[in-house]
Amino acid sequence: MHNVKRLACAAALALFSTASLSQAYPSRPVTIIVPFAAGGPTDIIARITGEYFSKALGQQFVVENVAGAGGTTGITRGAQAKPDGYTIMMGHMGTHGAAPALYKNLKYDPAKDFTPLGLVAGTPILIVARKDFPAANLKEFLAKVKDPAAKVKQAHAGVGSVSFTTCTLLTSQLGAKSIVAAYRGTGPALNDLVGGQVDYMCDQIVNLVEQIKGGSIRAYAIATAERSPALPDVPTTKEAGLPAYQVSAWNALFAPKGMPKDVAAKLNATLVAALDDAATRKRLLDLGSVIPDKAGRSPEALQKLVESEVKRWDPILKAYAQ
Amino acid sequence: MAFMRAKLLRQDFLGGLAILAVAVFAYWQARHLPTAAAGGMGPGTLPKGLAVLLGGLGMLLMLHSVRSESMGRWSVRGPLFVLGGLVLFGIAVRPLGLAVAGPLAIAAAAFASSEVRWRETLIYGILMTLFCIALFKYALGLPIPLAPWLVGY
Amino acid sequence: MELLSNLALGFATALSPSNLFLGFVGCLVGTLIGVLPGVGPIATIAMLMPLTLKVDPTGALIMLAGIYYGAQYGGSTTAILVNMPGEVTAVVTALDGHEMAKQGRAGAALGIAAIGSFFAGTVATLIIAAIGVPLTRLALLFGPAEYFGLMVFGLGLAIVLARGSVLKAVIMVVLGLLLSTVGTDLETGQERLTLGIPELSDGVDFAVLAMGLFGIAEILRNLENPESRNVAIAQIGRLLPTRAELKRCVGPIVRATGIGSVLGILPGNGAVLGPFASYALEKKLAKDPSRFGRGAIEGVAGPEAGNNAGAQTSFIPLLTLGIPPNAVMALMVGAMTIHGLIPGPQVITKYPSLFWGMIASMWIGNLLLLIINLPLIGLWVRLLKVPYRLMFTTILLFCAIGIYSINNNPYDVYFTAFFGLVGYVFIKLGLEPAPMLLGFVLGRLMEEKMRQALALSEGSFMTFVERPVAAVLLVLAAAVILIAVLPAVARSRQKAFQE
Repeated sequence: MHNVKRLACAAALALFSTASLSQAYPSRPVTIIVPFAAGGPTDIIARITGEYFSKALGQQFVVENVAGAGGTTGITRGAQAKPDGYTIMMGHMGTHGAAPALYKNLKYDPAKDFTPLGLVAGTPILIVARKDFPAANLKEFLAKVKDPAAKVKQAHAGVGSVSFTTCTLLTSQLGAKSIVAAYRGTGPALNDLVGGQVDYMCDQIVNLVEQIKGGSIRAYAIATAERSPALPDVPTTKEAGLPAYQVSAWNALFAPKGMPKDVAAKLNATLVAALDDAATRKRLLDLGSVIPDKAGRSPEALQKLVESEVKRWDPILKAYAQ
Repeated sequence: MAFMRAKLLRQDFLGGLAILAVAVFAYWQARHLPTAAAGGMGPGTLPKGLAVLLGGLGMLLMLHSVRSESMGRWSVRGPLFVLGGLVLFGIAVRPLGLAVAGPLAIAAAAFASSEVRWRETLIYGILMTLFCIALFKYALGLPIPLAPWLVGY
Repeated sequence: MELLSNLALGFATALSPSNLFLGFVGCLVGTLIGVLPGVGPIATIAMLMPLTLKVDPTGALIMLAGIYYGAQYGGSTTAILVNMPGEVTAVVTALDGHEMAKQGRAGAALGIAAIGSFFAGTVATLIIAAIGVPLTRLALLFGPAEYFGLMVFGLGLAIVLARGSVLKAVIMVVLGLLLSTVGTDLETGQERLTLGIPELSDGVDFAVLAMGLFGIAEILRNLENPESRNVAIAQIGRLLPTRAELKRCVGPIVRATGIGSVLGILPGNGAVLGPFASYALEKKLAKDPSRFGRGAIEGVAGPEAGNNAGAQTSFIPLLTLGIPPNAVMALMVGAMTIHGLIPGPQVITKYPSLFWGMIASMWIGNLLLLIINLPLIGLWVRLLKVPYRLMFTTILLFCAIGIYSINNNPYDVYFTAFFGLVGYVFIKLGLEPAPMLLGFVLGRLMEEKMRQALALSEGSFMTFVERPVAAVLLVLAAAVILIAVLPAVARSRQKAFQE
């Protein structure tokens, strides 16, 4: 008898929970879906942010890694979750920018099926080459890449990876065609770059910074507006003579579409505070990430970013597939 | 006729036939994949090549099957309940949570054994599930649903 | 001399009470979680990683390494006791280890695994400390063409590995290769053999395949033959191998340690080949090869030693180049990065106490494992006395939770059930799953390396001949395959003539 009552209570609670949600939110643990395996750059950024959220909001923010199909498996699940604030997700330049061009059967629309919560961090992209590549600076390097006779060899971490999309952007801007070798993940690709089997690749700073500092590969440029404090000697693409090449593997928090406004506002406010928190900032900066300024942290700015990224990647990646 | 049946029931004949079937299926699935690309090898080169090789080997196994052992007995009960238990767990774990999926999987699988005892299975299933919840959900903090219909997560 | 002072620094770091405690906790927890069927080392480390977040970087790394060794040893324990290898390398351990368990010699199998691992770990630690860094530079000479040669060589070993019909072994290897092509093509992004199922777009997960083919199928087999399992449960056997058994294992352990150490240094995940190479070598060297697969203790000692040596030396590419050679090491990179410590060529010079402390802790970890596990063997074996009707349901539940937790995806559980069915059919058809699993693992690497090599040579197959290391490896591979296949061909021809 007692049990029946409790069940009824629980059911009633579930029914009214959306109404009473806002005051009490969060009243139970929140899941952050990370669409990649544990240990990768997106996972690390999600864990660092999640830790701050847990402390600030008094409920555990638990990372759930749902890897698969370039991150689209996890984001598909997130898009279909209840928009009650208890499932949010760490989206990414791939899942919310390049995916529509890469996956024909994509079950979500990055611009329409989500409540944007805010940009968390940008991860700069670097153009790197083997340490004895015969080019002194970016200009000489680009001339080599454009010259078919030089037979420059590019490595990437698999179709759909950040390293693939960003390098495809580079070659399409140059109108060049490199010899391309595909690897499974950054590790093996970087290995062959250090070993001199391939000539160059593009990838996220966090994967490359130690090899560059240690001199086992060389960096020609960083594709951001400003130099990175982690690698102060590496010029920006603008300084080095390729201003059009601006690209970043950004990470941002999204919720399913239709989330109550006050919950979304609370989460965005917490994110803004997290990015001002000294400890959180330091950990993100240590990774080489770029923390967005105040204006860049708003949901509207994120919505705009998603729309412009989808538009940007579509022609470039579709051209590659042909 | 008797000869034919004896031959068909031999292990390797059926084995070869199954392998051949897998090979044909794989080739059919890979039929649209190109076998040539800029690098010399296309995405279809290996799947198609391996399917052809596998089919050939399957036929070879069928030819060699004359001396092989005859088929053993196949049981239905074990596979049905054990695999059924796994599938039930998969279906139940997200909507109903570990609290339901655990006892369900144990109860279903228990029927695979002819030694099944009702009461014991039920109690054991609940105890085991409690243990798993304590271990995986609380001690390790895995994001596995507990009972979304009751507690919301 | 420098080596000694470095090691002294390392031991001073690793033996500080707090670090020693962290190492111990890591080993213990890693073993306890890793021993759960369905939870392989990768899943164990992923689950336990948050535990290390509250500790300083050196302590965290020492603890993580402890978790890794513990998880590996725990995985070998499940491979031996319930025939559930949670990772590639434990597949070989399961072959003879589980046979030994069935014969009531589970204690000896677990004991020799611990002893072999300890010896290999000790040697590998010394190798890392002494010549790890220069060796890495050598390993970098391995390009795609060389790895392709190495993988073909491994496939040859897969055929040697099998007992019984060579034709069937070749079939299973090819089947494994075919299965490894399932998933999105790396070069073009096209879906291959995925049957339109999105969950297959990253291919079949190794843990799913191994759990189904070995673990679930083993449960089904046991349910059918109550006799075979009762023997194992009734008799525990002595917990330590006999003197004669130990003596037989000395050679295999030493050889496997050498093979495993060398393969582990290769940054392209050569370590997976260690246990297979050791098993194949011992089988060829044995006076009576037919004992292998039927409970030969060398078939446990060698591969376990090779596995541990490789596991240890695979830290070298990680620590010196910052390049993770396999999924476990990739997870380690993540764990280090969370601590603000990005592994790379500078780690040794920038954080000497961390680097050498970790190396010293490797040896201490191996010692701790030996201390923790020898008494635990009694516990594991006692657990096997639980009535089978209860035990198999428990195994199944752990399996389901473990597999689900890899990607938090129910589809992985369905696929495991499917491969369980496939494994059952294999048993009925007399087909061995081990060569298929090796074909599966090597197939993916082999295709990648072959296509990379061809892409870089612009489609010229001459690259495999012009590069001397690649050419030598391919010749060796051809020799191994011929040695494996020719006697069988000759035999079957003989039989054909007799008819």
